[in-house]
Amino acid sequence: MLLARRNLTHDRVRLVLSITGVALSVMLILLLSGYLAGIYRQSATYLENAPGSVVVAQQGVRTFAGSSSFLSSDVLDSVRTTPGVAQAVPIVMQAAVLELHDRKEIASLVGYDAAQGGGPWKLAEGRTPEADHEVVVDQVLADQHGISIGSALTILDQQFTVVGLSADTSLWIGSYVFAGAEAVQTMLRAPGVWSAIFVTPSAGVSDADIVRAIAIPGIEAFPKTDKIEADRRGIARIYDAPLGLMVGIAFVVGVLVVGLVIYTATVERRREYGALKAIGMKNRTLYRLVTRQALIAAVAGGLLGVALAFGLAALLIALRPQFPIVIEPGAIATALAASLVMAVLAALAPARAIAGLAPAEVFR
Amino acid sequence: MNALTLDVRNVTKRYGDGETAVTAVRDVSLAIQPSEIVLIMGPSGSGKTTLLSMMGALLHPTAGTIRLDGTALSDLSERQLPPIRLRQFGFIFQDFNLLSALSILENVALVAELAGSKRKAAREKATAILTELGLGARLDFLPEKLSGGEKQRVAIARALINDPALILADEPTANLDSKIGHEIMRLLRRIAKEQGRSVVIVSHDQRIRDIADRVLWLEDGRFKDVITMTTDPVCGMTVERDRAVSVERDGEAFYFCSKGCREEFLGRLRSEDMGGCRSAVLQRAGSVFAHLASGARDGHASD
Ligand SMILES: Nc1ncnc2c1ncn2[C@@H]1O[C@H](COP(=O)(O)OP(=O)(O)OP(=O)(O)O)[C@@H](O)[C@H]1O
Ligand SMILES: [Mg+2]
Repeated sequence: MLLARRNLTHDRVRLVLSITGVALSVMLILLLSGYLAGIYRQSATYLENAPGSVVVAQQGVRTFAGSSSFLSSDVLDSVRTTPGVAQAVPIVMQAAVLELHDRKEIASLVGYDAAQGGGPWKLAEGRTPEADHEVVVDQVLADQHGISIGSALTILDQQFTVVGLSADTSLWIGSYVFAGAEAVQTMLRAPGVWSAIFVTPSAGVSDADIVRAIAIPGIEAFPKTDKIEADRRGIARIYDAPLGLMVGIAFVVGVLVVGLVIYTATVERRREYGALKAIGMKNRTLYRLVTRQALIAAVAGGLLGVALAFGLAALLIALRPQFPIVIEPGAIATALAASLVMAVLAALAPARAIAGLAPAEVFR
Repeated sequence: MNALTLDVRNVTKRYGDGETAVTAVRDVSLAIQPSEIVLIMGPSGSGKTTLLSMMGALLHPTAGTIRLDGTALSDLSERQLPPIRLRQFGFIFQDFNLLSALSILENVALVAELAGSKRKAAREKATAILTELGLGARLDFLPEKLSGGEKQRVAIARALINDPALILADEPTANLDSKIGHEIMRLLRRIAKEQGRSVVIVSHDQRIRDIADRVLWLEDGRFKDVITMTTDPVCGMTVERDRAVSVERDGEAFYFCSKGCREEFLGRLRSEDMGGCRSAVLQRAGSVFAHLASGARDGHASD
């Protein structure tokens, strides 16, 4: 409808305000949900890149980075000999404090056997650890603290030399540091003790079969996807409520901005709408008119918001690489849908104002 | 357009109820004939706008009926009214109420489109009407760029575009200076007479009464006796016949705004008696009077 467009473009400032309002709201929604999606993705990367599809850990210990899971070499041996197991890769993992020259950083120290796997999946520079006291550290962490290949690093009072930098290994808190399994076990004063075993079933054997087959007292086996899901839920418990609240607030602010702008524009044109009613425009047509104004503003704002979100996300990632912001297509669709809902909600108050307008009022 | 008769019968309008009820129009009847120009005057708050709104199907009467050529508008529901407002009535408002975001061409064409015209046809029709009203060079202007008189002409074009049987105008000249106001009234008269539309005008403006076929006086929600107006032959002012200073000469009555004008008139008669052109003065005064008297004779009021 021509009139809807003209009414909007007639008040430039208003149009800019309402589009900006929606854009900022949509951008905020996308960044917040992108931040959450980034955290989820980070939490899952290690497991996704670890070998195998079934995880074996101490009974009841599903977060083996924080609270420790202890598996003896006997457990490893019996897992290896379980029928249907093609490969079993043990790792030892321990949260550790890195003493960096300027401050302390939390890291997940992973001890692995280079021959079997469980180590860094993408090396940005250097090589994997070969000797004791060699480590690979996360590239982002290294960049932030001036660590480079050949630098010395103190972990739990032990001296290490950085031989490689890994990519894609930062965490929302801390980052991964990889070292040889024995070195880590020695450092933890627990030789031969593992945290988890990644199991690859033989061809034709399902994860469920393996989970059932590994029946060792005090030990639990579960599909890797379960573990990823459990980690996800753990993060969700921490983040979903506050981020959800912020997303909700962003949405409401968006609705209020468009609503207020369209509402004041409608009230200001009250006499014009009244004249249209007197002339014979149906209420339904008038509602469509204001809804369309809200829709145009919201869609323009939504698209601008998506663009802004991508721009700002790129900027944030450049400035703070440890906080990845992952804008997923689903989130974009949701944000655009949210802007449409904003438009409809925003049109309610003005539509009510118009409905309450008596056609005879134009003569006052 | 077909010529339609609007018949208002025993119409009453009460606003609110209980102690605060206001009866704005009380038991009013009148009929508007095709191509008739009716001027409704009266003091502020007398119910003129209320009556006009009911005549234009913008307001439901509390009692009584309003028929447009047999269709009882007062019985129709709010949902049935928009098409009637759109096609049968043209409204003209005191403050023009043009759509500020649209050009004047779009303002007028929009109303044709509402009535079902295709965009192109609507624009052509609007262009033709606006051009006829002397706005051909302003088609793409926004209303804010026009003078008051031009805006009111746009409003008239908008009122005409769907070829209505009736034009209803509330104080159409109140925001215009008297010269432009008069132009607008002459335009409305031309529309009524050339196009056969009925025009109902509500106004306070005494100066526009000479274009009406019938002047009705509304007071306290009722029509009062129609006051016959006439023109003072000396100063040209419109005066109420029954309250004016008068004089009779040769079986004919003359009315004046004041004794001063009467003295001047009599003085002139005396001097022209000597000059021998007395009959010319009498004739001139007489003709103005006759015109107005015929207007008044047609008028009828119900009380
Ligand atoms: N919507 C309304 N609600 C309540 N009372 C109303 C309403 N509209 C008009 N009135 C009252 O009805 C009476 C007639 O009002 P109306 O507007 O018809 O007068 P009017 O003759 O047009 O006056 P004016 O010359 O000042 O425009 C007034 O007393 C007014 O206060
Ligand atoms: Mg009025």
